Amino acid sequence: MKRFSWFNATSLTLGFAFLYLPMIILVIYSFNESKLVTVWAGFSTKWYGELFRDQEFLDAAWVTLQVAVFSSTIATVLGTMAATVLVRAGRFAGRTLFSGMIYAPLVMPEVITGLSLLLLFIGIGLDRGIFTIVLAHTTFAMCYVSVVVSSRLTSFDQALEEAALDLGCTPFQAFRLVTLPIIAPAVISGWLLAFTLSLDDLVIASFTTGPSATTLPIKIFSAVRLGVSPEINALSTLMIGIVTIGVITASLISKRAAVAQARDERAAARTA
Amino acid sequence: MSQTVFAPWNDPDETPLIRFKGVTKRFGGFTAIDDLTLDIYAREFFALLGPSGCGKTTLMRMLAGFENATEGTIELSGQNIAPIPPNKRAVNMMFQSYALFPHLSVWENIAFGLKRESTDKEAISARVEEMLRLTRLTKFAKRKPHQISGGQRQRVALARSLAKAPKLLLLDEPLGALDKKLREETQFELMDIQEKTGTTFVIVTHDQEEAMTVASRVAVMDEGRLVQVDTPDVIYEAPNSVYVADFIGDVNIIEGHATPEGERARIDWAEGQPPIWGTPRGAAGTGSGAGKVAFAIRPEKVAIAKEKPEGRRNLLEGQVIDIAYLGNSSTYHVKIADGRIFKAQTANTRRLVNRDITWEDRVWLSFTETAGVILEG
Repeated sequence: MKRFSWFNATSLTLGFAFLYLPMIILVIYSFNESKLVTVWAGFSTKWYGELFRDQEFLDAAWVTLQVAVFSSTIATVLGTMAATVLVRAGRFAGRTLFSGMIYAPLVMPEVITGLSLLLLFIGIGLDRGIFTIVLAHTTFAMCYVSVVVSSRLTSFDQALEEAALDLGCTPFQAFRLVTLPIIAPAVISGWLLAFTLSLDDLVIASFTTGPSATTLPIKIFSAVRLGVSPEINALSTLMIGIVTIGVITASLISKRAAVAQARDERAAARTA
Repeated sequence: MSQTVFAPWNDPDETPLIRFKGVTKRFGGFTAIDDLTLDIYAREFFALLGPSGCGKTTLMRMLAGFENATEGTIELSGQNIAPIPPNKRAVNMMFQSYALFPHLSVWENIAFGLKRESTDKEAISARVEEMLRLTRLTKFAKRKPHQISGGQRQRVALARSLAKAPKLLLLDEPLGALDKKLREETQFELMDIQEKTGTTFVIVTHDQEEAMTVASRVAVMDEGRLVQVDTPDVIYEAPNSVYVADFIGDVNIIEGHATPEGERARIDWAEGQPPIWGTPRGAAGTGSGAGKVAFAIRPEKVAIAKEKPEGRRNLLEGQVIDIAYLGNSSTYHVKIADGRIFKAQTANTRRLVNRDITWEDRVWLSFTETAGVILEG
């Protein structure tokens, strides 16, 4: 059987073109000399320079970074705790309901999440700004973290924690000294995932933000309504770069941990 | 050198290190431990033996503090241990999977428990070195657990659990992952270390040979109950039930009807067959020697011969069906009168080619009147 038929080649090209053509065009035009987005006038990096002189964009970038760091960190702590409880607590009444409820926000339309958070913040009289975006992002990123961490925890030998307790650790010490170092790759990739999710979120952020805090996606979206500028292209290219690095790092970390684990298990099986 | 026999369980003045008093453990509707009472003494090497699911691991986990008794109390040195969490107990455990910390080196694994209770670096270091020497691991101190062999990992686990000098060391199937030869070596090593450190060991195993080799006393368990608690020789020579006789080693069991006659008891076991003569075990408290009984005899206590031996009351005639050649000994499967198979084992003191008994031969099985035990049917 011919593995690489014309049909396969065409499907592949079409599929990838569909996925990546828009982004490639965006990246190419970010290096356009002309101010007109659709007319190519030679290679230039001047829009990147312009971008770094635009105070509004820099402010938005700073807000976005703060939101991403805080929300992903809080989400990682909460998500790891949730995963630990769900994997460890064994059978208790309503366990399935609990784990289902953790995962539900993954499939919840963002508009709904954003709207309900907005109503909550108005209801309790919380001034909208960076703080509320951090809360909102923590809410949805936490589910992703708990999914990543709990999949690692299910293959974790519980005897290790018992051994730590047996040797004199308090339950918290056992977690900090034994469990956490072992599941660290999963926790880190969960953090990176949460970070990138927060970085490019538009919908939830626009529901929960106030006049004082504008994140980059919001800034881009509103700027585009006045017309696409090459500056926006440059900014988007940078964001694509950051997100790509984040996602690749996250998957590399978890993959390497999986490989190391498999190697250890093989070594153990060989010498046992 | 005079040696006093180590048997604190026979000394009424001795206080046990561990006392189980009417302990019951239920998991939902399942009773894992059923009203169990047991004393274990200091410096004992105590084996919990039984098939999987008999509750032996649950018993051990209750000592370690990972499970709590549903009813009854467990005392360690006279103190009820139920309210004490695992990290506060002077009890350490060696896990079946070893549970070595994969992110720490051998040295750090052994130091782990010591660091929890002391900050004195030199004392910790000295103790770790001592443990490394005791378990012959000094060369491997810097390696990670996945960089050493199974036998070495087993010794790291032992060193780690002994490092804190616990009053009681629990060993959960400690040799299960090792191959037979290494397991036998390690058994003697364990006994040696137990003697050197004077620690009380409680070992859980399903391997009866292992229990017999290492233990000062063996508790045979079945379905959450203790069936017999005794020294290995008593367990083997004088089992108190068909279950124990059958679980430990190989045995021939014949059901019959016993009638006491003087010092002996006569067991009628089949129509038209000469009776078997046995000795009722009044002292052992089992088998009154009357009524419906089971007569149990070990194959190595049964002699096999081609000619009818003189002067023996217990004689069975049969035909050799099968011979299991084990190298040092052979087990003959002999079909006797009512069609049942009776096993006789002899040491192979002669070369195999010189063996005079072979398949299909008519043979005579004989044994003394004290060789077997009479058990309640």
